[in-house]
Amino acid sequence: MAPAPAARLCLLAGLATLTWVTAVHDSAGVTTGPPGLPHTGTAHSGPSMTATIRGRVELRRQPGDVERRPNPGDLAMPPAHGPTDRRRSVVYLDPAPTAAFEPRDRPRARMDQRNETFVPHVLAIVAGTTVDFPNNDETYHNVFSLSRARRFDLGRYAAGRSKAIRFDTPGIVRVFCDIHAHMSAYILVFAHRYFAVTDDQGGYRLDNVPPGTYTIVAWNETTPLESRSVVVPDGGGDVELDFSLGRR
Amino acid sequence: MTTRARGVAPCSSAPRGTRRRLLWLLAWLVAAPEIAAAQGLPAGPFTALEGTLTVGGEVVATVGAPDNEAFFNYTDYEHNVLRMMRLALSAAWQPLGRVALVAEVRSEDFDGVRPYAAYVRVRPWASIPLDFQAGRIPPVFGAFGRRAYYADNPLIGYPLAYQYLTSLRPDAVPATLDDLLRMRGRGWQPTYPVGSQELTPGVPLVSGFRWDTGVQAHYATRRLELSGAATLGTLSDPRASDNNDGVQVSGRVAVHPVVGLTVGGSAADGAWLADDVQRLLPSPGRRYAQTAFGLDAEYSRSYWLLRTELVWSRFDVPFASTGVVEELDSLGVWIEGRYRVAPRVTVAARLDRLGFSTVERAAIGVSWDAPVTRVEGDVSYHLQRNLTLRLAVQHADRDGGRIRQRTYVSGQLAYWF
Repeated sequence: MAPAPAARLCLLAGLATLTWVTAVHDSAGVTTGPPGLPHTGTAHSGPSMTATIRGRVELRRQPGDVERRPNPGDLAMPPAHGPTDRRRSVVYLDPAPTAAFEPRDRPRARMDQRNETFVPHVLAIVAGTTVDFPNNDETYHNVFSLSRARRFDLGRYAAGRSKAIRFDTPGIVRVFCDIHAHMSAYILVFAHRYFAVTDDQGGYRLDNVPPGTYTIVAWNETTPLESRSVVVPDGGGDVELDFSLGRR
Repeated sequence: MTTRARGVAPCSSAPRGTRRRLLWLLAWLVAAPEIAAAQGLPAGPFTALEGTLTVGGEVVATVGAPDNEAFFNYTDYEHNVLRMMRLALSAAWQPLGRVALVAEVRSEDFDGVRPYAAYVRVRPWASIPLDFQAGRIPPVFGAFGRRAYYADNPLIGYPLAYQYLTSLRPDAVPATLDDLLRMRGRGWQPTYPVGSQELTPGVPLVSGFRWDTGVQAHYATRRLELSGAATLGTLSDPRASDNNDGVQVSGRVAVHPVVGLTVGGSAADGAWLADDVQRLLPSPGRRYAQTAFGLDAEYSRSYWLLRTELVWSRFDVPFASTGVVEELDSLGVWIEGRYRVAPRVTVAARLDRLGFSTVERAAIGVSWDAPVTRVEGDVSYHLQRNLTLRLAVQHADRDGGRIRQRTYVSGQLAYWF
């Protein structure tokens, strides 16, 4: 199930804010938000220890798999497809400290097509990353997106081939295959590097966060966003923060 | 028993109440892009019963000029393909790993709800890709008949062989050759002196709007597919109950030599004339068959999709006054292509021809029905992955009948989940 429209708009606004922030951060190492929006990301200036923010994202309701559309025209049982891992959430700072925007060398990521499934189902990348889409199935696949952040269509290509595309604009990119309607994935593109995709147990970890006060956001495709305020002390160390997403 | 309306003149336009509902629905569909932009529309099927039940649907609103003079795009349900509101709900329930119940119901122009598919599918052995289906089943003949209308049909119109109404009827026959030739180009409502006198449409070579009832088997490997079916009706007149104690046997072989290419060959043979009219003939008890052969191919690569299909059909048609049985042949062939110009934009075109064999009349060869040529092209704009706007232009040309040429412009908004 797609997240509620309000939550999606909220996330988009957050990501847009980050984009803007990359353009206006000042030389003192403190980010400044766009006019009219509160500045929640206040990193302290001067020498200080960084911290790790860690915790778990719990989904109150376990999302079901993405099922194939019923096709009465099939003459046989359709082949089983791989599970779509919709439990993955993405946790990120909004906005992030200045250090997050330091340029890095041409990052590269990969989203496989296996058993009629995109693997991983959720990919979080920094803007400027090139994502490879290898086809590791025996059938044709196609990768396309109509999302505003990156609109593309890689066409149909056979097993063993791979195509790549670069993501320069922060935002959410929904990825589909036009041959297999049940295939879908999310690519979250950030203007900074303070984000993490949760592991099998829902755990996440954001390293090297400078002291300051931030808003930290947890996103999952099946639930509305949840955001909290977090304070990283001057002394650094670990900050624990858990999320519980979805309706009570 | 067929569920098509009988004894009703072809409807040129929907009744007022229907039109109002249609307008409301169109208004909703026009607003849909805004909703879709906020991801308010479901993007996939609904699931229930721990994922064993999936329900999908299709809402397709097509607007265009009426076709109640030339009848180039009328269906055997007496609806105009280029001016139709279609709602479809399909469901698959798989309570066990190798057993599934599959069904689809449709409503066209809000003209009631009818079952399109309803069958059980069984795969007896997990390790052998052999499946059996029984009930109202998809056709094994050809390729087009199994395609989902909106998602798999790159154009608004149907191929002629699957939609265009010939002048033949399963419930009435001509007394003489002149009776048959008088109906050339009048497949929307042919009448004959022997048999039913109700005003109903003729049959297409293969019905793209009804599925037959029976059993089928399908075996597939990576490179080869074999399918066979035994059904109550025929390609031209699929049935929910038998009308002539005849069984149609059909089969298809398809090969996939390389990824992206499918080539298939099909055959079908079944008794097509109803018992009610056979009893009125000089030699009752004879079998009057529709025999058909088909070839189809599909190739896709990169941004291209190319398809072609050929359907050859022969009807055994008796002339009631003489008892002579004429073999009336037809050949439908078309080629279509689709190209994705941009992520949101696709263009498609189809060139289609339906021809008929000649019969001798006063030593001059005349085709038993009027040949038709049709060209259609469209542009589709994808507002969302599963919400598409289409604009199509179609030109049809018929070598007979009162109106011989028509050009149609139609628009379509389609949504599926």
